[in-house]
Amino acid sequence: MSALRAALPSPATQRGLLGGLVLLAAWEGAARGLHLPSYTLPAISDILAGTFSRRGTLFDAALFTGCEALLGYVLGAAIGIALAILIALAPRARSLVLPAATAINSVPVVSYSPLILLWFGVGIASKVVMVALAVSFTVFLSTLSGLDRVDRRSIDLMKSFGAGPLAILWRLRLPTALPLMAAGLRVSTVRSIIVAIVTEMLGAYGGLGWLIYQAVLQIDFVQVWSAILVASAMSLAFFGLVGFAERKVIFWK
Amino acid sequence: MTASGSIVPANLLRATLAVAVVALVWEALVLFLQIKPYVLPLPSTIAEAILATPKAYIDGFVRTAIETLIGFTTGALFGVAMGVAFFRARLLRDIVFPIFIVSQTIPVIAFGALVVLWFGNTLFAKAVISFYLTFFPVTVNTLLGLESVDPRQVALMRSFGASNRTLLLRLQLPAALPQIFVALRLGASLGLVGAIVGEWFGDTTGLGVLLLQAMFNENVVGIWAALIASAVLGTGFYGAVAAAERAIVFWEAEL
Repeated sequence: MSALRAALPSPATQRGLLGGLVLLAAWEGAARGLHLPSYTLPAISDILAGTFSRRGTLFDAALFTGCEALLGYVLGAAIGIALAILIALAPRARSLVLPAATAINSVPVVSYSPLILLWFGVGIASKVVMVALAVSFTVFLSTLSGLDRVDRRSIDLMKSFGAGPLAILWRLRLPTALPLMAAGLRVSTVRSIIVAIVTEMLGAYGGLGWLIYQAVLQIDFVQVWSAILVASAMSLAFFGLVGFAERKVIFWK
Repeated sequence: MTASGSIVPANLLRATLAVAVVALVWEALVLFLQIKPYVLPLPSTIAEAILATPKAYIDGFVRTAIETLIGFTTGALFGVAMGVAFFRARLLRDIVFPIFIVSQTIPVIAFGALVVLWFGNTLFAKAVISFYLTFFPVTVNTLLGLESVDPRQVALMRSFGASNRTLLLRLQLPAALPQIFVALRLGASLGLVGAIVGEWFGDTTGLGVLLLQAMFNENVVGIWAALIASAVLGTGFYGAVAAAERAIVFWEAEL
């Protein structure tokens, strides 16, 4: 019985699928029925056909963007977690690092892209830096608030048993911080791909953002939608993967 | 009241002082290490560039601020409304919420390109992009906040005969406010991102336009000037939302 129930999607998932199907049907119907020009709204079937016929180009572009996003994501996550741990171990660093991080973050992240492009060139490095910049701040803040959430009394208890700051960090504060840290990591997945794509628009040798911008200039909106489709699928897959890892690591939640 | 009145200027004073110190250290470092202006220009050069053509920066600042404000306000209202609707109607939530999630994976430049095509190169189009980035976090956090209300409090108010409306206005929404404000602060930053990216699709005024023009001219000083202008706008907007938060959610004083 339970096996049967597990095989069927939950009622919520069924309704979600239904909503998606209704939206797609309405889209297809509107585009075909009202004879909308492709620059207004191409039909879903045209977008799918366009995606299939240009699958090679799209795949290369997705691979390009995916590599940039992944490199930047790993780099940014490492920097964010390292900074948060540094502050947890050396509370005095907080009054220096926190205002600096807040000041850097007060600039909308896309405003940095022209500068980063000038500094790091049109190649892959500038995108990796931009993604790392966007990801590190989110991960830093969520990890820090996780590390701060530890019960003072638990720390005192461990201290009374003679635990040093490193042992407290490893055995108590990091496990406590893990759920919030993971939430930051999960939110950053979609952001990393979007930031990579946005930066590619201003200058790149390839990638989905470059493809989208070229398609916009050529008024080829089926191609824009194809690229959107691929980018969305990639974001959802990345999000799902990190969410899956999160459930494996934080098994107690 | 007097306490909060004296705290804000003290913070402002400290922030101004910090900015002045950073500018001085920056100036000294660039002069001392002889960093090329192409890598990092002097703060005084940047200030001169802004003061040389103040109108371009003021116009750009105002234009981007208006776009962000419209997008943010409509996004916040829509987000709260959708959060309440999803909370009340489980069916609606199951059907629409997944579509919202997927909508947020659309890269903002692709969405921006479509919106500018649909609505033309208008202030309205930029506000729509800003709206699109703002509404989702507000929806999610409104829903989270409403769901975390203590059921015993709901039962208590019900036992006094409170209607759904009273329950929402007197208990659930106030209880959700701290969560909602977390999203509003995030939305303030995201809304500005939307407005700036929207301007990249060809416009004549705005901070995004200034950034792009400076980049194409390889004018590093211009990039920094636009960067600082958008930092001022971002900080001001974030600060305004945070100040509203302190005034409205006064019971959560530890912000």
